[in-house]
Formats: sequence, structure tokens, C-alpha cells
Amino acid sequence: MTTGSVPKRFSIPIGPQHPALKEPGHFDFSVDGEVVTGATVRLGYAHRGIEKAAENQNWVQNLYLLERICGICSHIHATAYCLGVEKLADVEAPPRAQAIRVLIAELERVHSHLLWLGVTAHEAGFDTLFMYSWRDRETVMDILESLTGNRVNYSANMLGGVKFDVTDDNRKAIERGVNFLETRTRHYLNVVTTDQVFVQRTRGVGVITREQAEQLGVIGPTARASGVLRDVRVEAPYAAYRDIPVQPVIETAGDLEARFVVRLKELFESYRLIRVILEQMPPGDLNVRMPRRPKAGEAISRVEAPRGELFYFIKSNGADNPERVKVRTPTLCNMASVLVTAVGQQLADVPMILAGIDPCFSCNDRAVTISKAGDATSAVWSWQQLRQYSQAYYRRRL
Amino acid sequence: MNAPTGLGALVSLLIFPGGLFVLANGLVFEWIDRKLIARLQNRIGPRWYQPLADIIKLLAKEEVVPERADPRLFFALPIVALAGVLTAALYLPIAGRFVFSFPGDLIVTVYMLSLLTLCTGLAGANTRNRFALVGATRTLTQLFSYEVPFFLAMLGPAAVAGSWQIADIMAHNSQQWLLFIQPIGFVVALIGLMGKLEMRPFDAPEAETEIVAGALTEYSGRGLALFYLGRNVELIGGLTLVATFYLGGIHNVLDYFLKTGALLIVLASLQTLMTRLRIDQTVGLWWRVGALLALAQWLVLIVIGEVAL
Amino acid sequence: MKIGSMLVDILRSLVHPPATQIYPSERRPAPDRLRGKLHWNPAQCVGCGLCSKDCPADAIEIITVDKQNKRFVMRYHADRCTYCAQCVKSCRFNCLQMSPEDWELAATNKQAFTVYYGDEHDLQRLVERNTQPDAEPAKTG
Repeated sequence: MTTGSVPKRFSIPIGPQHPALKEPGHFDFSVDGEVVTGATVRLGYAHRGIEKAAENQNWVQNLYLLERICGICSHIHATAYCLGVEKLADVEAPPRAQAIRVLIAELERVHSHLLWLGVTAHEAGFDTLFMYSWRDRETVMDILESLTGNRVNYSANMLGGVKFDVTDDNRKAIERGVNFLETRTRHYLNVVTTDQVFVQRTRGVGVITREQAEQLGVIGPTARASGVLRDVRVEAPYAAYRDIPVQPVIETAGDLEARFVVRLKELFESYRLIRVILEQMPPGDLNVRMPRRPKAGEAISRVEAPRGELFYFIKSNGADNPERVKVRTPTLCNMASVLVTAVGQQLADVPMILAGIDPCFSCNDRAVTISKAGDATSAVWSWQQLRQYSQAYYRRRL
Repeated sequence: MNAPTGLGALVSLLIFPGGLFVLANGLVFEWIDRKLIARLQNRIGPRWYQPLADIIKLLAKEEVVPERADPRLFFALPIVALAGVLTAALYLPIAGRFVFSFPGDLIVTVYMLSLLTLCTGLAGANTRNRFALVGATRTLTQLFSYEVPFFLAMLGPAAVAGSWQIADIMAHNSQQWLLFIQPIGFVVALIGLMGKLEMRPFDAPEAETEIVAGALTEYSGRGLALFYLGRNVELIGGLTLVATFYLGGIHNVLDYFLKTGALLIVLASLQTLMTRLRIDQTVGLWWRVGALLALAQWLVLIVIGEVAL
Repeated sequence: MKIGSMLVDILRSLVHPPATQIYPSERRPAPDRLRGKLHWNPAQCVGCGLCSKDCPADAIEIITVDKQNKRFVMRYHADRCTYCAQCVKSCRFNCLQMSPEDWELAATNKQAFTVYYGDEHDLQRLVERNTQPDAEPAKTG
């Protein structure tokens, strides 16, 4: 048995296939015993070429393509795209449509945060909380199903409005569900802040200080857990948020516990918003007529996805298809914070720190340029170079 | 108590109460454990034959030996592990019957029960997989943390009985349940058993979200099946040991199932309530709290012993 | 600070049945708005083709049988369909509906996913046209 040279640096690879991550992403943590001393990340395993595909489909078809960027926050992607295209076409969806968009967005936030609660509890090894939070998440999934007709990709939006109305039956079902979820959320908030064993794993772990959060450009609930107010719903209200102000939830501790608390308290805010929208639902049409080809121009649309700010840049040249659609999802902005906070932590806390930003790898993987460590020039390859590389690669393997 | 000879010995070793019975019982208890946890989490849980189906599937699978592992060790370790715990079971009143018994068999039994953990650690180190190495380190670290308090908790009843023979100890405390006389020892023993079996919250050595399957990451076929069987037998052995010492002994089959079953229910409920502890937290807990509690129990015993004399 | 804060849930689970449903033997009624298989009513169709143009998955083909008399046949690929209901909204004559009952669409062969809608007479004409050698070159081999 040869022992070979003892590596100076013992590294633990997490991903692309690893039970902690349900999506492909590669993290390399060098460890000294149980303590993490360095971290690198490599993304791009789930690049699907959606932006390019969007250039080959017409404006209506793209709505459904872009909705499928993310399974969990599908509605918010469609909303961002609709708002952008409507801006290009100088059309505004009627108030009732805007309210329904926000209603579904908030229901989606409830479903996303409950899902995150379960996933992160599972990473910590608290499967009971995982099972119960996901059981209760079914309530909001059922609401969304009865409201929109589908459990995941709701397809509630259409260019110029929404597809369906909220009836009295829907309203009653939503109120019932929200009341139930509110008591459950209170219970979960109690569990994550008082359970001795669980708090041991979250309090003071993976701290992102306010300065770090601002420096790294962290967004969404992760930033709000570090005391940085970044919420598009507050800073640049869109759709019905202009009429219904959002009270942001801020925590200052910046550790994992704060991220739990922020997300769970945001659920209460979502429940409040849902109730307010149901009460103040403006009457009127559900959609307005949209031109099939928006005018040439550029539009930027920002919305607050459950994970943070979602950014769309849409460029039109007046044709059937958009000239360019650029998407930036919140995970990309938060990824750097994982690498910074993981260093110095125990290996056992790494999955939780990673899950703490609520990463969504396939949302995140757009175009990838890889720059080697120490090499400042990042390489962008032409089609020709890419072809040569792939031929050489496969010739080597033969 | 005479050791059986001839055909009787073979039956005792291979079928009842050793061998087959222990293995089957282990599978049943694994199912009860899984089913209970599932029901406590409001899930349905596996069907009764699931553990058996798992074992049969694993036995039928190809076993992949990692390139840099020593193949002899790779094959031998699971066998040694299972043999160790099966041997331990022979000295325990499984289903109310001792197969063998001699003065000092308590020490042998406790050591044999640790053999599985030791083999798991060695197997992890042998396969030279990164996850397995971290898992092996954690397994052995954990072994050194819970073993001393667990041992102390086992020696409490032995000291009261004044014997290191399990049968003697059982005979001595069959009149009263030591659970009420040495409650601290019982708690330490039960929690120690959870550590031994790597049950939550002490499952850091096989924490799937960090290090995949820990020390056994590279095991796929027969070896994994043997380790699983070994773990099940250890579950039975540990439960029987605790029931024998603290729940007034085991005198017949019904007694056996009632007492070990009750303990299993307690273990399953405890598992559902807990979050996985980090390995440093586990070690800290055992040395700071567990060992101290066990020592406190001893102190009480010594003081009472002095007073009684 | 306490240990076992989920104890209440666990105890409640002892008396409550599991939340999991065993699907094929236990079925929840589908909501009225569920978007299942697409159904087409040829009576109103003018053959504008907006549904097929807007379909993000190319699941709809409108085949013209007789342009003058507005006879159309629809070929629907249920396996490509993403069930987004854009076609239902795009159609100005309400010819398309997504059925809330027809949603268990699994099949063991691919033919089951290609569905023809239309008048029986029109379908017959389509088949005849397709079998004529000059309408479609016969495949050899």
C-alpha cells in the first residue's frame, strides 16, 4: 500500500453531486481538522442557455420560458418580465391585475420561505422541523393550486395583466390557509429561537457583519439579517406595492439564527399583505390589450424575489422576438458571502451557511466565464475557439 | 448456568437465541425505529419488510473495492464487526436466555459492542475517501467521548451487585428496578447507547449533508449490508444490556420484548426531538456533562455503600 | 431555552393519521381551475393560428382541411405541452379549454400523446389526403 505524498491541504469537495446540495454547484473547502481554512466555488453546471433561447422566441412565448428559470420563484420571474415588457410597450396592467400579481407573489414568498426553513433545518440535521414545515407548506401550495391551476409554475401572468380573477371562494380559502399558517409560523419562530439544541447550531454561526454585507453586495433576506435594508418592495415599489407599503423586517445579528428570524418574520408581513390585498382588491379589468411587438427600446425591471432582488434587462428592436433578455438572480449576489463566512467555521456548519443564503443554482447559472486563479484576464471564447477546444478535448479522451 | 454442548450449542449459536434470531430481531427493531420516527414526523414510514429488502438488495449488489484500499481489510472489517456484536449477544439475556456466562463477561460484552464502531472507523480510514476519512475521525473521536461515561454507567449496577458477571448482576437487581435507585446512571446509559448507535443528535459521524455517509461512504454491497446488520444487532445488544441492568432484568421472552421495546420507543422519540450536534459539541457534552454525571452517580453509590456498611 | 420544543407536534402526530396521501388509492379532488389536457372545439375556429403561434412548446398544430369552408383539424402534442393555458387566453373565440378532470396523462407509448381534435368527417379527409401519394411522398424502406 503506497501512501504517496501527504497533501498539505486536505480539501472536502461539496458538489456537483453531494447530498447537501440538491442542485449542481461545486464547492471546495480546505479544512484543518474540522475547521474550514479556505473555500472556492465553481458555478455553471446547470447552464441552460435560457437567455439565448429567449432571443429565438416571441414575446409571449418567452413569458413561459423565463418563468421556468426557477421552480420556486417562478411567478416573480414572470412578473419581472411582464413589468419590463409592459414598460417597453407603454402599457400598464389594470390595478386589479397588479393586486393579483402581488397576491400571488406573496403567496409564493410564503411557500419559498417555508421550503427554505425545512431545507436548512435538514442541513442542520433537524428532520422533524423539516417534515413539519413542509407538511404545512402544502397548505399554501394547495391555495396556489386552487387559485391558479398549478402547483409550481403558476402561469398567472400574461403580458398586460393576469389570467384569472380571485373569487369569493378563493378569498375564503386563502384566509383560512393564512390563519392556519400564521399560528404554525409563530410556533416555528418559537422553535428556532428557543430550542436549545438547535440554537447551538445557529447562534453566532456564519456571521456576516453589516460592513461585510455592504461590501459583498449581499441582498435579500440575507442582507436584512445583517442589518442592511435592501428590499425592492420598499426602495422602488412596483405593481401594487405602490399602494400597499411593505414594512421591512431587519435583524442586526447577521448569524444563521438572524436569517431564520428574518425569513420567519417576513412570513408574518406576507400574511398581513395578503389580507390587505384581499380586503382592498380594486375592481376592474384583469388585463389590457398588448401590442404583439413592443416598441424598440430598453427596459430594466427590478422586483423582490423571495431570495432578494431579481433584475431583468430587456431590449427590443421592435421585432417579434426580443433582441436581448438579461437576467440576474439573487443567488449570484449572495454567493460571495458564503465563501467569506465559511472560513474559520466548523465543517459541520458549512451546509447550513450555504443553505442560509437560500441558493438556487440553476437560476443562477447564466453565461459563465472562468478566470483561473492568479490570471487576471478572464477568457471569453469565440465560437471557433470553443469548437477547437471541444475537438481537442474529445481527441484527448479517445 | 452451564454452557450448552453438542447440537444444543449449535442451535443456541446459530438459531435461537443467538444468530438468526438476533439478526431477525434486529431487522424488526430497525423497522420499529424507522416507522416510529416516521409516524412521529407525521409521515407513513416504511413497510414491515423494508429493512429485510434493503439487506437482500445490498447482498445482491456488486461490491466495489476502492483502488487505494487494502482489499483484505476491506472485506474483513465488516465480518469482524458483525462477528463481534453477535458474540456480544451470546453473553446477553436475549429473549431471557443466556447462552454463555462467566465471571467478567460484562467487560467482554461491552468491548465486543464497541468493536463495531472501531471497525467502522478503521473501514473509513482504509477506504481513503475524503468523506470516509472525516467520518472515521469523527467516529473514533465520538467513541472516545461516550465510551467512558457509558462504561461508568454500566459499572454502577455491577458495583452494587459486587460482580462482573451479567447473570449475577441481573439476579441481584431482579427484585428492584435500578432505574429508580440510579436514575442518573440510567440516563447516561441510555444517551450513551444513542451515541454508540450514532443516532441523532450524535450522528455527526454519518452526517449526510456534510460528509455523505461518513466512514462507510465507499461501501456498497455485502460489506455495507454486514455493517447494517451489525448496527441492528448492536441496537438489540445495547437495549438488552440497559434493560438487564436498569429495568429489573429480563426473565422471559415477553419480558424481553416489553422492556427493550419500551426503551426503543424512548430512543425513537428522543431522536425526533433533536438536532444533530457538531462533533466538538458532542465531545464537550460527554466530557463536561456525561462523565461528570456518571461520576456523581458513583460518588452517591460509594457514599451509600459506606453508610450501609 | 428549552429542549424538545417540537414535543407538542410529535405528541399530536401520535393521535393524528399521517399527512402523506397514498396517491393511486387515495385521490384528492382536483381544483376547478386545474390545467389539464387541452380540449378544442372546432365549431368557432377561424384558423387564425394564434394559439399555435403563442404556444411556448410547439404543442399545437392547426391543419387546414378546407380553407373556404373553415374546416380545421388540430393536432395536439400532450407530451410537449407545458399546460400554461396561454392558448386558451390567446384564442379570441373561446375554442380552447383545459380540462380539470383530464390530468392523469401517463401512458406507455408515445402515440397516446398525439391527439387529433376535429370533426370526424374532417379527420377522415385529412387521413385520405395523407395517404394519397402526390400529397405526401411515400416513404421508402
